[in-house]
Amino acid sequence: MAVLANAAPHAQPHSNSAEHDHEAHLREEHLMLDPRPRGEMNAMVMDSMHATGWKFWVIASILAVIVVICLGYYWGLMISEGMVVAGINRPIYWGIFLVNTVFWIGISHAGTFVSALLRVFKAEFRRPFTRAAELMTTFGLVQAGLSIFMHMGRVWLAFWLFPYPNERGLWPNFHSPLSWDFLAINTYLMSSTMYLFLPLIPDLAMARDRSTGWRKVLYRILALGFRGTESEWTHLRFAMNLFAFAILPVMFSVHTIVSWDFAAAMRPGWNSTIFGPYFVVGALQSGLSAVAMVLIVIRGNMKNMKYFIRPEHLDAIGKLMLIISMAWAYFFFNDYMVQWYGGDSWTKVLLKFHEEGPLGWMWMSMLILNVALPWLILWNKNWRRNPVILFTVGFLINIAMWFERYIIIPTSLSINRFPFTYQLYKPGVEVQLSIGTLALFILLYMLASRIIPLVPVWEVQEGQMAHSLRKFGKEHVVTVSDLE
Amino acid sequence: MTEKTMLLALFPDIDPAAQAVQKLRDIGVRDDHVNVISGIPVTEAMLGRPKQTSNVPRLSAGGAVAGMLLGMFLAFWAPSSYPLNVGGQAIIPGPPTVVVLFEMTMLGMLISTFLGVFLDSRFPSYEPKEYVPEISDGKIALLIECLPEEESQIEAEMTRLGAESVKHAEAQTL
Repeated sequence: MAVLANAAPHAQPHSNSAEHDHEAHLREEHLMLDPRPRGEMNAMVMDSMHATGWKFWVIASILAVIVVICLGYYWGLMISEGMVVAGINRPIYWGIFLVNTVFWIGISHAGTFVSALLRVFKAEFRRPFTRAAELMTTFGLVQAGLSIFMHMGRVWLAFWLFPYPNERGLWPNFHSPLSWDFLAINTYLMSSTMYLFLPLIPDLAMARDRSTGWRKVLYRILALGFRGTESEWTHLRFAMNLFAFAILPVMFSVHTIVSWDFAAAMRPGWNSTIFGPYFVVGALQSGLSAVAMVLIVIRGNMKNMKYFIRPEHLDAIGKLMLIISMAWAYFFFNDYMVQWYGGDSWTKVLLKFHEEGPLGWMWMSMLILNVALPWLILWNKNWRRNPVILFTVGFLINIAMWFERYIIIPTSLSINRFPFTYQLYKPGVEVQLSIGTLALFILLYMLASRIIPLVPVWEVQEGQMAHSLRKFGKEHVVTVSDLE
Repeated sequence: MTEKTMLLALFPDIDPAAQAVQKLRDIGVRDDHVNVISGIPVTEAMLGRPKQTSNVPRLSAGGAVAGMLLGMFLAFWAPSSYPLNVGGQAIIPGPPTVVVLFEMTMLGMLISTFLGVFLDSRFPSYEPKEYVPEISDGKIALLIECLPEEESQIEAEMTRLGAESVKHAEAQTL
């Protein structure tokens, strides 16, 4: 078996030009059937990190300014003035900060889903973009963590969350879903960062071998002295397989526990037994859409990425988005149906407020953008493969998923069992801080794309080794060998 | 005692490397005197090499137990020492305990798996090592520890089987 990507390792004598055309089409279509020498792929990935135009730095500078103003200044203002500059007030004490927390944790689910679940099931199309998705997990969780700190208000007392003996006689209440959140989000953040780093080590070693100056020093430190010996690969393989299986229940637990922040409360609209899986599916819905958006941006703007990320990958993610959209619709309807049928008067008032209240447009948009739009568009293969269409669908799904969290949290809190406290939520500095977290996420991702090889070259090469074309009668078909 | 030398034979592909591994065994080089370095994970079975073992699964299991013990500390000892009445629940209630135990067990397991790779692979290790950058370009290197008098025979055999180069392995700063 050839290690080196052979330009035509499966070549057969061609009986006619139609066969040749079909074979050429398959190679053009599938990255795994279009191998290039490993050295060339390494050079392409290194080049993609180094080729930075002025537009990149202009955008990065604008984002940095937004981060400084929206995140630095306005958070500082909130710390100095108190939560009065935020819009939360009776009866809405949970506002956009928690909407953003749930949203970003949702975004973070895609990395694990794409990388771990597809690795477990050996879905080959995952290979070129697992790292791009994993990176979203880590940076998404950073934004979720920041949003929680914003919500705390007196953020300098965050260390009170830690269980340690103290003179105040305080101890975290481990009966509380908020404490479980603390454990689950930290577990997930650490696990996903480690899971990002392990398969990155061979690519850091590759980058080390091809760099000079400060990059050489950085990659040398991060590659830890990796050479690729038999034992190093064995330990890595064991660890990556173990991580792939173990991080999945952690991923499911995180958003389930986030859902319990609401579901454990005896409150109409929140107290639902199906909130756990409903939140998990919602997280995948927004996360996968975000992965699609990121891949399209990478493909369109980073050098050589059109070779690694092809329409077949957009097609595969589009299919996943369609399936998850159906699952989300199922869970939404299940949750809605049981509440509607229950007949509780306060629940009826809440559902009517969601649908016909001043934010009814948001509820309707959520359904249209989360269900109608993907179902109408993503069934079509050509549309799934169109970067502009897929990006637009992904963007609108993310808007819808943000609306969903907004409806669940501040909108549901607007009305309660005390009609004299009814009040709509009017955000204050939350708006600027939300823009700041979004800008920080994009900025971190952009900067990381200049330092971290976004394509796991060794995984791509391994996949290309495993794929071949086999002829059945007159038809060439793709076959995959299990090399593990 | 004769000092052994280290040869580095660089192959372009798995097939000649696998043949070279077999040839080395045939001419009396012990398996533990050969090390394979590659830019992708090549299984032992492909090269006909002895099965590699790893302590990572054992360390993971140990970490899971340690994490669970920490979880038990938080879930059992903490509420006993700082009792809180939450909605009439027991001081040490069942379902919340499961959540804390699960998260801490998984955290312990995953951290120890990660550290297990470091321990087993002796990472980080920045001292000079036998290596050539061509390996990360897809070549396969055989590091062969042999006696000086065996060198010429091994070099000839490796070259005959398709090695692109056979030379004295020099430890270099990576």
